[in-house]
Amino acid sequence: MTGSELSQAVEQMAAPAAAAQPGNAVLRSLIGGLVTALPVLAIGLLVLNFAPTYYTFLALGAFVNLIVVVGLQVFMGNSNIANLGHSAFVGLGAYGVAILSTPLAMKKLSIPNAPFGFATLELDPVSSALIALVVVGIVALVSGKVISRLSGVAATIVSLALLIIVHSVFLNWTDLFKGNQAFFGIPKVVGLPWMLVFAVLAIVAARLFKDSRWGLQLRASAQSPQAAAALGIDAKKLRLMSWVLSALICGLAGVLYAYFAGTISPKLFYFQMIFNTLAMLILGGMATVTGAVTGVIVLSVGLEFIRSIESGVTVAGIQMPQLLGLSGVALGVVIVLCMAFRPSGISGRHELDELLSLLFRHSAR
Amino acid sequence: MLSVEAVSKTFGGVQALRNASLTCEAGEILGLIGPNGAGKSTLVNVISGVLKPDSGNVRLAGEEITGRDPEHCAWAGVGRTFQTIRLFKDLTVRQNVEVAHITCRAVRPAAAARIGVDQLLQQYELAGFADSPAGTLPYGSQRRLEIARALALGPSLLLLDEPAAGLNEAESETLAIAIEGIRRDVGCATIVIDHDLRFINRLCDRLCVMDQGQVIASGETEEVWRDPRVIEVYVGQSETA
Repeated sequence: MTGSELSQAVEQMAAPAAAAQPGNAVLRSLIGGLVTALPVLAIGLLVLNFAPTYYTFLALGAFVNLIVVVGLQVFMGNSNIANLGHSAFVGLGAYGVAILSTPLAMKKLSIPNAPFGFATLELDPVSSALIALVVVGIVALVSGKVISRLSGVAATIVSLALLIIVHSVFLNWTDLFKGNQAFFGIPKVVGLPWMLVFAVLAIVAARLFKDSRWGLQLRASAQSPQAAAALGIDAKKLRLMSWVLSALICGLAGVLYAYFAGTISPKLFYFQMIFNTLAMLILGGMATVTGAVTGVIVLSVGLEFIRSIESGVTVAGIQMPQLLGLSGVALGVVIVLCMAFRPSGISGRHELDELLSLLFRHSAR
Repeated sequence: MLSVEAVSKTFGGVQALRNASLTCEAGEILGLIGPNGAGKSTLVNVISGVLKPDSGNVRLAGEEITGRDPEHCAWAGVGRTFQTIRLFKDLTVRQNVEVAHITCRAVRPAAAARIGVDQLLQQYELAGFADSPAGTLPYGSQRRLEIARALALGPSLLLLDEPAAGLNEAESETLAIAIEGIRRDVGCATIVIDHDLRFINRLCDRLCVMDQGQVIASGETEEVWRDPRVIEVYVGQSETA
């Protein structure tokens, strides 16, 4: 597809969207979500068809991050409450399918003493995923009951506590989670195509929620709690709703990660993931789903580039020294610079489709 | 429509409301006036559920709403604006009104069918900015948007807390005409707090005068201004001094 063909296609999608009546709000939102997912789809298809194995592996990791960041946006972007606990749900999703779907022969090696008969249970990957997501949903519902009653810093601290609790359980309930050691032997059933499908679905779901009446009411209550209450908005209920949806999307990311990597360990779902994904969302702009996507693309590429410098490179015949830890420093610098100079992130207030339709309207004049 | 009976509220040692009572009928515009600290805003906050009274009753159309949460009061039919404008600044003008209309559709479908979001935007001269963020509007338009948003709730009682504050004379007049339009079109009970007495006298059928947490006079606008206690509060403190 050439550039002009692409822009025509986008215009055809964006034009009715701009003229749509409130009755078509859902359709408009759906199209908006798909337009937002287009860059992701394009990158995914490129990698699928042309990239060497190493890059495919990197891309799979990046797509997991993408789904996590989109999940994070569902709660943070709409409620404007910082969440430091979302990777707990990623971990729960991953460990859920690990415990349920790992072949018995492998379980004999890894978790022979698992309680509740899990040592002798082997489910198919799809059932395992569904059960894992139900567990994520239940944990989200319980923790959300607490978090939705709070706002601002208090809610953030509770989310952090949740992360630490879940991590401690992973580490110390060794019979079930294998503790600090890697949990291996999970069936590797997810490749790039499935990952791509779920990434697009996550983006569309996040967009549909944001544009729904619940999303709109929640964004309103984040901006003025008093005015929202005076208009009959039940902010607690909406915060709970977005918390659970956010957790489910993060849990899905965990499920997919386990199914593509085959091996997981607790430290994967701890502070490193929190910081990486938060930096992506902040850099891209947390007000929009487009921001989540943008942040993941920019930082994934950026961090990979930095990692290649980290191990020492030769520039113009001069061997640079190793710069271990550079990626961590860069991440911090990105967050600080972004907070200082562009707190709304790269994409700001507009979704990709809204920007495109603004551009087309502008150029049509 | 609205009946407030003997409401009291104390903050720490300060009694903000003492046995305050008032009524407001459908289609009526009631002016709530009094010096700073008289308890006007406290009373509005009690009626709209922001504050819980220590004692007393608030009823709207026969339904007891005393001490309910603000969202319950909104569901029951209380719409309000704020002394300092509280818009959803990053949402568009249309979305601001839409948010209120969502509640209206859920709890008062019949009223929601009568009030259209677009129609309100037209009426309050906001259609031209419909897709701009509310925070970018000029001050006067923000005031109008706050009223349009409260009306999209389909209220049976509208509480306007200093709607004319910061407006010039021409803008005040436009606002007064708009509020009279609400009486004509919506027919809800309206309570207006303001310090601009010319604005209040021009607009209100009845006045309710507060001082030190008490309602010291209420009645027809002209009658109230003949009441010696009101004159004392507003002009004649020299006699008691």
